[in-house]
Amino acid sequence: MTIGVALMVAVALGLVVVVAVLVSRSRHSTDGVDSFRRQIDALSPEARRPVIDQMYGTSGRNEPPTEPPTEQSGDTAPDTDDGGPHGP
Amino acid sequence: MARDLAIDLGTANTLVYMKGRGIVLNEPSVIALNRQTGEVLATGREAWQMIGRTPGYIVAVRPLRGGAITDFEITERMIRLLLQRVGVSRFTRPKVVICVPSAITEVERRAVTDAARRAGAADANLIEQPMAAAIGADLPIDEPVGNMVIDVGGGTSETAVISLGGIVALEAVRVGSFDIDAAIQNYIRREHGIAVGERTAEEIKMAIGSAHPTPQESQAEVRGRDLMTGLPKTVILTPEEVRYAIDDVVSSIVASVIRCLSKAPPELSQDFLVRGMYLVGGGGLLRGLAERIELETEVPVRMSNVPLEAVVLGAGHVIEHYDALKGMFMGARR
Repeated sequence: MTIGVALMVAVALGLVVVVAVLVSRSRHSTDGVDSFRRQIDALSPEARRPVIDQMYGTSGRNEPPTEPPTEQSGDTAPDTDDGGPHGP
Repeated sequence: MARDLAIDLGTANTLVYMKGRGIVLNEPSVIALNRQTGEVLATGREAWQMIGRTPGYIVAVRPLRGGAITDFEITERMIRLLLQRVGVSRFTRPKVVICVPSAITEVERRAVTDAARRAGAADANLIEQPMAAAIGADLPIDEPVGNMVIDVGGGTSETAVISLGGIVALEAVRVGSFDIDAAIQNYIRREHGIAVGERTAEEIKMAIGSAHPTPQESQAEVRGRDLMTGLPKTVILTPEEVRYAIDDVVSSIVASVIRCLSKAPPELSQDFLVRGMYLVGGGGLLRGLAERIELETEVPVRMSNVPLEAVVLGAGHVIEHYDALKGMFMGARR
């Protein structure tokens, strides 16, 4: 009787362990997919918009422009001296 | 409870982004100390104004050189003071993401994270500057296309090819805009026999410095100390002279961009011809640099809309989506 109960408990425990292993394995196999998807979603333009908008205002993302590349300002200070107006 | 922070710990400037608030601090990475007592006298802009103009007992230093911590203790004190200024105290310990050059060594990495933890951060993680720059420059790095970013900072220049949220190719050199300033200083000393300070060299670079001939160039009147007589002296410097003086540094930056291009897989290489490369960082503002890179690589080069803030904005985005993007931290996937 006692042996029968012990056997049943052992079988039940074994089943629990097997189920737990299977569940953890299946979860493990989708973990990579999920975290990669979450990462890509977090890098999407919609996710970045609030942070980027703080600096860009309402302008669009850095897509390839149709016009020629942006030129740097061509203004040159005529002279320089010690303690001039330029910051770091 | 402190708000989490993203820090662009640059050789030239330190920027801090606070979660939910945006950029809350943008100051030169300079600290002024009393040489005798070791007491901190000023940090940031105030300390920057002291460079080269201090009495003997005060020293104004940049504790980072070439993107690396040269003085661990001073860096830690500087970070602590900067964090205090944005509201971090002993009782409010935020999570911190710090942008660092991708080429730093394991020892340097540990030095940065230790400095941040000792300065009050509960947890400190690092992210590569070019990756943060690409996020902050709003490049479509979530797509399977080649995005190339060139980050020319004060002490390092890094070029990275990024696709699907990861770095595909990377090239970094420990050369940046401070090396351009030093080259100008050395040239004036050698060719004109006068000594000029770090700040004057920087002003010359900003006034007439260029990596490629530009329209409407003008000369600069430079004042310094005559090395022979010790008296103040004025000389005229032309843009051609400055271009010649800084050519080695500029060539080194361009060569690293070319090396990175050659590492990129062919499928992504063709994207650069259409999309171009994006230039960020304070050094990227050097006149004619975009044209020079474009000329030598035959790939279009475009300036980011926010060249100085791109890195901290990218790190700021990571801190806003900490759980989803923690896989991007240095060491997370290695």
